[in-house]
Amino acid sequence: MKILLIEDETSLAESIVTYLVAQKYICETASTFREAIEKVESFQYDCILLDLMLPGGSGIEILRELKRMNKQDGVIIISAKDSLENKIEGLQLGADDYLPKPFHLPELGARIFSIIRRRKFANANVVTQNEITIDLLSKTVHVNDALVAFTKKELELLLYFIANKNRVISKSALAEHLSGDMADMLDSHDFVYAHIKNLKKKLTDAGADNYIKTVYGTGYKWEA
Amino acid sequence: MKKLLNKPFRTFLTYTFIILACSIPVYYAIVDFIWLRELDEHNRILAAKIKTNITKVAVTDSALYQAIRVWNQVLPETKITETSEMKADSTYTLYRRNEYLRSKGSDRFQGLVTTFSVNGKLLSLTVENNVEESNETIAAITAVAIVFFIALFAGIIYINKKISKKLWQPFYDSLDRIRAYDLQSQKKISFEKNDTVEFTQLNENIERLVDSNLKVYTSQKEFAENASHELQTPLAIIKSKLDLLLQTPSVTAAQSVLIEEANNALARVSRINKNLLMLSRLENQQFGDTEKVDISQALHDGCVLFEEFFRDKKIDLSVQIDPGVTQQANKMLTEIVINNLLLNTVRHTPTNGNVQVELTAQHLYVSNTGTTALVADQLFKRFQSAAKHTPGSGLGLSIVQQICLRYNWEISYHFSAGKHRFEVSFNNA
Repeated sequence: MKILLIEDETSLAESIVTYLVAQKYICETASTFREAIEKVESFQYDCILLDLMLPGGSGIEILRELKRMNKQDGVIIISAKDSLENKIEGLQLGADDYLPKPFHLPELGARIFSIIRRRKFANANVVTQNEITIDLLSKTVHVNDALVAFTKKELELLLYFIANKNRVISKSALAEHLSGDMADMLDSHDFVYAHIKNLKKKLTDAGADNYIKTVYGTGYKWEA
Repeated sequence: MKKLLNKPFRTFLTYTFIILACSIPVYYAIVDFIWLRELDEHNRILAAKIKTNITKVAVTDSALYQAIRVWNQVLPETKITETSEMKADSTYTLYRRNEYLRSKGSDRFQGLVTTFSVNGKLLSLTVENNVEESNETIAAITAVAIVFFIALFAGIIYINKKISKKLWQPFYDSLDRIRAYDLQSQKKISFEKNDTVEFTQLNENIERLVDSNLKVYTSQKEFAENASHELQTPLAIIKSKLDLLLQTPSVTAAQSVLIEEANNALARVSRINKNLLMLSRLENQQFGDTEKVDISQALHDGCVLFEEFFRDKKIDLSVQIDPGVTQQANKMLTEIVINNLLLNTVRHTPTNGNVQVELTAQHLYVSNTGTTALVADQLFKRFQSAAKHTPGSGLGLSIVQQICLRYNWEISYHFSAGKHRFEVSFNNA
């Protein structure tokens, strides 16, 4: 899977690349508007991570260019400008997602995973993890071919783990993911714990392996 | 407090009153003096006429006596009597009952006594004439004075009003504009042109003052917004580095705790930053688009959103929502008001406590179990978190207040019977 990261802040770009490469993605970077346009025009990517404020031009222009060229690359806007207008404009111009800075790397991993799945497997979007099969369209989970009922949050959590396989995910990152826009304001570590406990229990009760490992008591990891 | 124009008005009126009151005796004295002098003259003329005519009649002594007798019978007031000595003319004033018109009562008379000689006989002649009584004169003059005073009073009120309307019009106009002016609107203040030097100077100076304030205010707000923006990128870098650090195989348990603690603090900074940005945007009059927002639906959605959190803390949530409550507002801002209020209850209600949410066409109530009252006037200020140990940003209620302010909704807080109660009163005018 090929990803283009358009970001002028090299330190942040390095982190993202390091994380994504460990996730087995092929990662290219562009740090200026001109460089970005050249790469976008010459190559095909599965997913483009786009910062809106770039030296030499706006990320919005790159989106317009992509639309004009009728390119099908998935686009996630990563921006410090967390305003509704920007978000709406970006999404209207064909971006698939909008992730305001600052974000946790596993969150970015989950979003990329979701977009690539949606783009590549539009008609039969099924994620398989050994004995676990998740149908993303019907939002159903089968363990050893038996249907297991998950709540919306548990399903989200499961996908989040699978998207960040073998990575240590901090409780803060999980809390932020689970509580969404709102509630990064909540002290929700107990909340995270409760959800993970339920998810684990449902999976093991249905006969799946215990993939979710606790790491040092402060984070979790999906080992597979 | 008195109006400026009413201050000299009262003084003018008092002065007018005193002058008019003083004029009454003066007028009386003059009128009476003229009256009496005129009547004295009239009496003298009459006396001279009588003297001349009597002398003509008195050809003989008997004719004279005959004439005097007839005269005294016909006009007893104008008596002619024989006297022994020649006296200088004298005048008198007396009040006497009118013998002929009794209903008129007592009248004042001005008389003249003069002596003259006819055929070597000394005769005394008394001529009398009716004069207007002094009390009647005073009454008439007073009545006139009162009429004039009323005319002046009415006139001054009328002119005063006219002056206040015309002359002071630019002043009141400026006053209205200053009163209506809101620094947050970020518009310059402007006044109507006028041709009065003082008012023009006043307006110019106010414009100058407001302009400089506006500049300070704008730059301060831009600073807040820019600072928040600029902070996002370094925060993103720290966050990503911590995430990577956690992936290092050599991380020990102790280090992992450090990372998690750093992450928590970072989450809090991000939160504060995000809310500061939101406040700056609110104050910068962004989110201008409004629609008819279904508050009932939004509140219901909010309750659903937080359901799990309530369940998690074993908080008993009771919801009573009147259907179809709508307000003209920005949808996102309305959701923020609802969510921030609910979020506070999730955060501050003790485990096993309860939360009540109620919506009517006029009010939104959110109340929850609590132990001590919060300081109401500190509550909505920035960074005045009631409890320092909670992970709040200290900006949630400031944001709620800003949004309420924008739509003329009134937010208030009460504490009674172990319950915190927030109330939003909608503006249904």
